[in-house]
Amino acid sequence: MAPARCPCRALLPALAIALLGLAAAAGPRQTPALELAQELAEELWSAGLPGDLPELEPECRSLLGAFAEGSAALTGCLGRRARPVRLCQGCHGHYRRLLAQYGSIVRAVGNSSESHNCAKSILTSDRLQVVVTLSEFFNETWEAANCANCLKNNSEGLSNSTEEFLDLFNKSLTCFEHNLQGQGIDLSPNNYTEVCKNCNETYTKLNDLYNHLQRMNRQGGESAHSAHLCIDVEDAMNITRKLWSRTFNCSLPCSDTVPVIAVSSFILFLPIVFYLSSFLHSKQKKRILILPKRIQSNANLVNIQEKYS
Amino acid sequence: MANVAKKVSWSGRDRDDDEDGRAGETTPLLNGTGPGAAGSGRQLTPSSFLRIGQLSNVDLNEDIHELETEVPRQRPNEIPHNEKLLSLKYESLDYDNSENQLFLEEERRINHAAFRTVEIKRWVICAMIGILTGLVACFIDIVVENLAGLKYRVVKDNIDKFTAKGGLSFSLLLWATLNASVVMVGSLIVAFIEPVAAGSGIPQIKCYLNGVKIPHVVRLKTLVIKVCGVILSVVGGLAVGKEGPMIHSGSVIAAGISQGRSTSLKRDFKIFEYFRRDTEKRDFVSAGAAAGVSAAFGAPVGGVLFSLEEGASFWNQFLTWRIFFASMISTFTLNSVLSVYHGNAWDLSSPGLINFGRFDSEKMGYTIQEIPIFIFMGVVGGILGALFNALNYWLTMFRIRYIHRPCLQVVEAMLVAAVTATVGFVMIYCSRDCQPIQGSSVAYPLQLFCADGEYNSMATAFFNTPEKSVVNLFHDPPGSYNPMTLGMFTLMYFFLACWTYGLTVSAGVFIPSLLIGAAWGRLFGISLSYLTKGSIWADPGKYALMGAAAQLGGIVRMTLSLTVIMMEATGNVTYGFPIMLVLMTAKIVGDYFGLYDMHIQLQSVPFLHWEAPVTSHSLTAREVMSTPVTCLRRIERVGTVVDILSDTSSNHNGFPVVESNPDTTQVAGLRGLILRSQLIVLLKHKVFVERANRSLVQRRLKLKDFRDAYPRFPPIQSIHVSQDERECMIDLSEFMNPSPYTVPQEASLPRVFKLFRALGLRHLVVVDNRNEVVGMVTRKDLARYRLGKEGLEELSLAQT
Repeated sequence: MAPARCPCRALLPALAIALLGLAAAAGPRQTPALELAQELAEELWSAGLPGDLPELEPECRSLLGAFAEGSAALTGCLGRRARPVRLCQGCHGHYRRLLAQYGSIVRAVGNSSESHNCAKSILTSDRLQVVVTLSEFFNETWEAANCANCLKNNSEGLSNSTEEFLDLFNKSLTCFEHNLQGQGIDLSPNNYTEVCKNCNETYTKLNDLYNHLQRMNRQGGESAHSAHLCIDVEDAMNITRKLWSRTFNCSLPCSDTVPVIAVSSFILFLPIVFYLSSFLHSKQKKRILILPKRIQSNANLVNIQEKYS
Repeated sequence: MANVAKKVSWSGRDRDDDEDGRAGETTPLLNGTGPGAAGSGRQLTPSSFLRIGQLSNVDLNEDIHELETEVPRQRPNEIPHNEKLLSLKYESLDYDNSENQLFLEEERRINHAAFRTVEIKRWVICAMIGILTGLVACFIDIVVENLAGLKYRVVKDNIDKFTAKGGLSFSLLLWATLNASVVMVGSLIVAFIEPVAAGSGIPQIKCYLNGVKIPHVVRLKTLVIKVCGVILSVVGGLAVGKEGPMIHSGSVIAAGISQGRSTSLKRDFKIFEYFRRDTEKRDFVSAGAAAGVSAAFGAPVGGVLFSLEEGASFWNQFLTWRIFFASMISTFTLNSVLSVYHGNAWDLSSPGLINFGRFDSEKMGYTIQEIPIFIFMGVVGGILGALFNALNYWLTMFRIRYIHRPCLQVVEAMLVAAVTATVGFVMIYCSRDCQPIQGSSVAYPLQLFCADGEYNSMATAFFNTPEKSVVNLFHDPPGSYNPMTLGMFTLMYFFLACWTYGLTVSAGVFIPSLLIGAAWGRLFGISLSYLTKGSIWADPGKYALMGAAAQLGGIVRMTLSLTVIMMEATGNVTYGFPIMLVLMTAKIVGDYFGLYDMHIQLQSVPFLHWEAPVTSHSLTAREVMSTPVTCLRRIERVGTVVDILSDTSSNHNGFPVVESNPDTTQVAGLRGLILRSQLIVLLKHKVFVERANRSLVQRRLKLKDFRDAYPRFPPIQSIHVSQDERECMIDLSEFMNPSPYTVPQEASLPRVFKLFRALGLRHLVVVDNRNEVVGMVTRKDLARYRLGKEGLEELSLAQT
């Protein structure tokens, strides 16, 4: 990761830290000490290798700038679309662009010499490696969101099934809104029958489509990781389901407790019958004792017990 | 040996039927009055028969124990089964080589290079044992995974369908019927084809390695039934695991391969003939058992230690090294085949049938302050284990006494399967513990009454194979289960597992124990983190692991091997110390409260422990031995030999050979010991003195002839000896073991025991100071003495 540094560069931070520590300990004489440290650092920089200036080459700086802007845009996009989750739909363009920018940094070879290419000076010249960290963060987020799942193969837009799903999703949301408005504001919390009745069709369709997508995904996927759909779809479904079953209380399963109790108590009753009947009707298995051939076979045990009791 | 087959068929069931018939003929009225009356009528026959036998025996030796005939026999001859019996069904293995002339000649003929070949063959056999055991484990795993997946999908679809429409009772019926029918098939094959394949097989293998010959235990047929049976019982949703039976399967594979033939298939590959005797076979069986453990838990070292702890009483470093080789090969085979099956060929991530998953994250570490908590968990595990065993003891006793017909056993297994499904269903039905489906790795999420997008948390525990449930309990993030769910699950599963253990299905108790322990351990962890206001160290997964170890230790009471197995299965060496503490505590507490080796005792097996009972020093060989002994003369009449062998009242397997001086009636000096199996081979080949003189061209009998008959020597009834031949003489001096182990009458029981146990003897002749045979000590004579609650107890011999 870190490139081999010449000893003087490795020494620099240590020296600076030591001086800073001295300054902190000194207290009142803090400012002059700090200045001294900076001066020393500058001196050392100028005395070092002439090409190794803290300045970047112009083309590298422009690459870095592009990356910074791209990541700012992507961060903004991610943040704005965090709730309700619309990451994959809204930010895939930004993400793609950022990937390209990062790629160009990695590939960019400065024109001066081999040792001073942009990739090296931007990515691996320091301990923090901000650019790499940022890019890793974006990649991980993207992976975790599983966005690849609802984008087209060349990731230039949403895939057909996702489009279809989102259409249906919007339709059901519209349906919910429409029916709720029709009822007025003063409805009691339990009185969502209208919604349940009218939107049942769309909701069922949506649910079925989601289950279908999930099944397709599970069949196609090789490892456990790709068992998830992309976060947009999952979240959309989640919201709808919560609305449907929690807020509107539409999915009331028929609870048929009486037959279940009847059947289960019947089954639980069977073993009792079985054990009782085998206890009463089955002949107890008897063992036939064989008398051992030995000298004092009967007296033995008595002997022992007398001795030890 | 020869009479094993006959004795097995002469089981209680057959006799009952016969006697019913007899009673019915003579006293038809009595038969109608009920079982009690019929029983009292039946009692007379065997008792009078036995008494006659006893009297005739005593008559012959009137001079020695006249007094004994005076003692009236007050004890009833027929008693209900109890744990203080020794069965006559079990024979001993001949671990000690019969060092007769034939053997010595053959050993002399083998040169140094040939011995090296034999050594190489041993290694090849061990490698093959490992590979085949691993493959069998793969087969079981893959089939169980697919069949169980199919079953759970069908039931899940059905439940999902009926949740919306109503009629969940049909789903319950479907689940119960599916379970019951699958278990019915599994139980049918075990009960009717090979009863010895029932249970985990660990007690049987323990006994085999101890030197007890359990009929049919290492046959190919047993392996087939075992494998099919375990698949069916796991798929049938019983509270069982597939790990225990792997040990038995590995042993059967080992016994089969090392012999180079299968008697069941009637195929002889003409290889490995040198290993066709009990000594070698037993060594390979211990390697097979280790390979089985290793494949089951991905624990090669644990496998070796299991073999050493539980069985191989006779081992040296070379044998241990070979056993280790076999177990390594076994886990590697399983690992590579399963990785290929799961599609990531070079991953090697599934070393055993059960993988506890990785325990290496930060919060899974433990601190010294937690060790008292772990010890407390060990105490709980010990108490629960003792309770489990005590309940199971009563149940097993009931089963042996009343549920001994195969059809009843099948019905019982079906009922248990149906009830297991019902209990699971009712628990899921009543549970209101819903967890969001997002981000969880539930295989078959059941929604039932949960809101859309949520699953029932109880269903992850019940609606899954037990292995998966264990892993879920270890690794699901905190908050996946609510305490109520875990508490109910522990309670229900405890009783279900206890009820299931001992059914006539082939299944192990390891996984149910782990599951019970993991459930209460997790519950413990949750309450701990509640008490400590959610400290970071109170991770429920860690406590689930410790609870699992405690519960398993409390039930099976193994120490060394179990510690290593758990350590290897978690893949975390730092857990070794707490696991060891937990297992130690569980064993101490469990032994204080309850039983150990219960199933071996209940089967009336003459099992020899490491040491003689501690208070047995007052007993001498004279009191322990059986007497009088049926002896053969060195040159004996064929008719006498045949009569002795065919005498059903005395099924002796070894006969001291004495000097033949027909003029005196006195017992002459001991010359050697000959086994029943050898006599049978001699009679079969008609090695008579007269014939040898008549036809000089006759082939000399070789050791190979004895080996070919091994291990199933024909019964004496199948050997035809004509009236003329009965008058011939047979010379035993070449075939008997001329240097049998003997002890004087004054030797104490612990000394006799030590000799017996250390050398793996089968017969120990007791002689007086004139080298005359006065008695014989066999395994059953020693196993009779057991340390009970009130000091030393003596067990009775019984026909079972």
